[in-house]
Amino acid sequence: MSTSLRLKQKPPARGGQVPDAARRGRRLDLLPYALVTPLTLFIVGLALIPAGFTLVEAFFRVQPLNPPDEFNGLDNFRQLFADPAITASMGNTALYVIIGVLLSTVLAIAMAITLQKQFRGRSVLIAVLILPWALPGVVEGIVWGSIWDSNTGLLNSILSSFHLIDHYLVFLGQNHFLTILGIELVQVWQITPLSTLLVLAALQNIPADLYEASTLDGCSAWTTFSRITLPLARPGITIAMVQGIIATLNVFDQPYILNGSAATGASVTMQTYFISFQNLNFGEGYALSLLITLATLASSLLVLKFVYRPVEF
Amino acid sequence: MKQRTPLMRRLGIAFILLWSLVPLYWALNISLQTDAQAGSKPSNYLPPTPSLDNYSSLLSGGSDLAQSVQQSSINIFIECAAATVITLILATLAAYAFARIQFKGRRVLFYAVLATMAFPAYTTLIPLYQILTAFGLVNTYTGIVLVYVSGFLPLATWILHNYMASLPIALEEAGNIDGASRMQVLWHIVLPLARPGLISTAIITFLFAWGQFLFPLVLSSDLSTQPLTVVIASLQGRHLVPYTLLNAAGVVALAVPAGIALVLNRYIVSGMLAGSVK
Amino acid sequence: MISKRNRLRGTALVAGAAALSVLATACTGGAGASSSQTKDVTITVALFGAPPPQKSLDAFTKSTGITVKWSTIDWDSLQTKIAAASTSNTYFADATDVDWSRVGQESKLGWFLPMEKYIDQKAYAADMPQLSSFTSNGHIVGVPFDASYLVTTVNKAMFAKAGISAMPTTIDEYTQDLQKVKAAGVAQNPLNIPFAAAEGLSTYWYETTQAFGGKILDESGKPQFSSPDSAGYKAAQWMVDAIKNGLVPAGNINVSDSESQQTLMAKGVTASTFADYSGNVGSLYDVPASSSVNGAVQYIPTPGMTGATANVSNPDGIGILKTAKYPEAAAKFIEWFTSAENQADFAGANGPDKVMPGYFLPSRLTGLEKLTAAKGLAGGQELTTMLKSSKPVFPAGAPVWYPQFSNSVYTNLHAAAAGSMTVDAAIKAISDSATKLAGQ
Repeated sequence: MSTSLRLKQKPPARGGQVPDAARRGRRLDLLPYALVTPLTLFIVGLALIPAGFTLVEAFFRVQPLNPPDEFNGLDNFRQLFADPAITASMGNTALYVIIGVLLSTVLAIAMAITLQKQFRGRSVLIAVLILPWALPGVVEGIVWGSIWDSNTGLLNSILSSFHLIDHYLVFLGQNHFLTILGIELVQVWQITPLSTLLVLAALQNIPADLYEASTLDGCSAWTTFSRITLPLARPGITIAMVQGIIATLNVFDQPYILNGSAATGASVTMQTYFISFQNLNFGEGYALSLLITLATLASSLLVLKFVYRPVEF
Repeated sequence: MKQRTPLMRRLGIAFILLWSLVPLYWALNISLQTDAQAGSKPSNYLPPTPSLDNYSSLLSGGSDLAQSVQQSSINIFIECAAATVITLILATLAAYAFARIQFKGRRVLFYAVLATMAFPAYTTLIPLYQILTAFGLVNTYTGIVLVYVSGFLPLATWILHNYMASLPIALEEAGNIDGASRMQVLWHIVLPLARPGLISTAIITFLFAWGQFLFPLVLSSDLSTQPLTVVIASLQGRHLVPYTLLNAAGVVALAVPAGIALVLNRYIVSGMLAGSVK
Repeated sequence: MISKRNRLRGTALVAGAAALSVLATACTGGAGASSSQTKDVTITVALFGAPPPQKSLDAFTKSTGITVKWSTIDWDSLQTKIAAASTSNTYFADATDVDWSRVGQESKLGWFLPMEKYIDQKAYAADMPQLSSFTSNGHIVGVPFDASYLVTTVNKAMFAKAGISAMPTTIDEYTQDLQKVKAAGVAQNPLNIPFAAAEGLSTYWYETTQAFGGKILDESGKPQFSSPDSAGYKAAQWMVDAIKNGLVPAGNINVSDSESQQTLMAKGVTASTFADYSGNVGSLYDVPASSSVNGAVQYIPTPGMTGATANVSNPDGIGILKTAKYPEAAAKFIEWFTSAENQADFAGANGPDKVMPGYFLPSRLTGLEKLTAAKGLAGGQELTTMLKSSKPVFPAGAPVWYPQFSNSVYTNLHAAAAGSMTVDAAIKAISDSATKLAGQ
């Protein structure tokens, strides 16, 4: 995080905290540390240390087929950017992120608004809503493969039943953009439930009297949406978008299952896999992982800066 | 007064139903057909002669396949349940500290925990394997559960932190004035209030754990620990497994999460949604 | 048999642990000391197929005192396990799968014990034509136990409907026959080529290149397919033309090998697969539950330039891991497992009781003879002839950089078939990557 960004950020609200420290004078308060110690042990031991290892190895030549390991500065990064397959996958991934985050956010807002007010069957509908998210990724490919399939797929069958096409079409693998879109739609299907819940959670915080007031003032549905709902849902939308960024930047299963290793759909994480686990060039694989981490953090911060606004009721 | 459901909402409801259910229906539909029926053109929108054969070859009898599905179902359940319980306990303790107590390093630690969500899985996979090997935890429930917990703690802590921060402080202050210790306040006042948030966090954690594939694949060696997802993936590698059977396996894998979602749906609503995101 | 080259579902995700090589230095001594004991020991054998019948295993135990614990793991995951265990020096199994395409890497990394210490190399080589695929730097990494190779399959019923009774023996005849099948309306798209960017596409091209009378790489790894009149170039052009002019279903652009065999060949949608897997007739096309073309699909000698040509071998091997607890006992098992009698039994020479599910074809010529004599195999005679002349893609063992090379082959051929690059550009890209890899 850059200094300028940090300066611009508001400190998190501290309201509503029990003033323990004040009450207990200047004595060091051990309880909070005791409470966070188990969490810290897990995070340090099983996330930060492994990630730190990666960070360091990204600057080494680590190739078991070509020992010994040695420091090689930015060589791994240079090789990454010199490889057209890698840069192409970066382009693909950028498309996945843009399409995926936009689409899942818009859908999540629409679905959350649908679910905003209490109605009969609402909780059952929420249960139905989260089913796609509950479906394991390994199964998702089976299911969607049989929808996109060009020989016996559902989509082709429906289109031809309605006489919209006279022969079955190939959706994935030919047109670059259509391929990306088809693949990303599957991921959107999977990540939208969580996004919807996060946006819906924010909507639940909006006091009902605001809506009553807008009705009394005779505001149109659109004005209510754009002046009340959307601005006040920003915190939820932010979290939903950050989750979306993390998921789409790491997209792997969907392109791999639906489109193989083809350049039309290959993502950066797929390349990480090939570099590390197929070519056994771990240093370069780590370097690419590091870039993905940085991209995730940078785009999350952008979303925080441009979308997030603290909301006080 | 009977209020008509607004058109927009009805459209929205229809969309949610179609969006979520059509692909799942399709898997169910195919799983009830024979291999030949599933390959017909145009597709059968309803199974012509619904049959549970695929399910019986997956689930019943002592065949190699049924045994692996049965054992891996037990495994996935144990692993997900254990990971959920541990995640919930640790996240609750930490979230309470983050939400209610000021201490040095609080913000740094909180953001560091959240930042770990940005690590791609492959970043930590190899070093994690190394660490677990060193402790002899590869191919054990413990090893898999530990990794799940470390992976799901950030999100769980975040959600619970937000939830607790949104709770009215007055009751806790009253508890403090009455001389209750902070742990007593947490146990007797905060936890009951946070119950919906705890339940929805548990559901989210459980569902995330249920869908895991990469980590359990690498960290488990055989059927003693392999979860259902790994067994299903290995089915896809077998040439002779018909595609209808794979769909049946998919439906089986969805059964438990779907059951949880349907039974606990009111908690998802009241928990996660009762004002958690700020 | 179990396909190992289908779309690498798990694989990908999988091999994760391969990475563990990094750890090689960190974790040593994880594996207990190995023992040369062969009496009263239990060894673990991990393969991707179901075990031989318990009775056979019991007989082995009785005669040797070695108990076998069999662990079935799918091919992709198995490769991960091997990499994980080997790099972190941890015991995982005594004997396990050796794939021909990994021989180069595995030999260089020293993950398997050299087999020549345990077997009579000359005797094995004479009886097992595919042993050379498992030899690298003078060491035998594994012993082939199942003699898969690529073979042309034809749906004779569909060919007959189009008026073709004599099977094609050259590529030109083959192409014309397919066009006849298409023209007669028997099949809209009679030829099956799985164009998904996955390993199955690479192997298809190797077989086609061989049929066009050429090689992929020479002994030093130099590409042999760069010029437009080379076999590899022509083969690529032939494959891409086939999808462009409708011999191959357009949807095949995204279909993997096993998927295409299951949903196209087995359903009578396509009439022929040029590079099919030996064994598919018995294990897929003749199985009523999964096929609607029972009895119709048969193997034919691979059409070449002027007549039938050699097949590309694609065998499965078994080797002893360096972390094995009981290498001697594992060697005894491998000797037993790959003996001529057992191979014939596993393949069905002596009744269904002795069949090992998923087992296809003996890797020993003597095993094949026993099997053919017992008439236990559909098309046994043809298959035996073809096995004798089957050739590895890499006569000197797969190079260490094989996975990268193959990745370049299938992504570029896929792109050419999808129309996003020309065949010329695809071939140039593949050739450049081979040159670069070999020069490293």
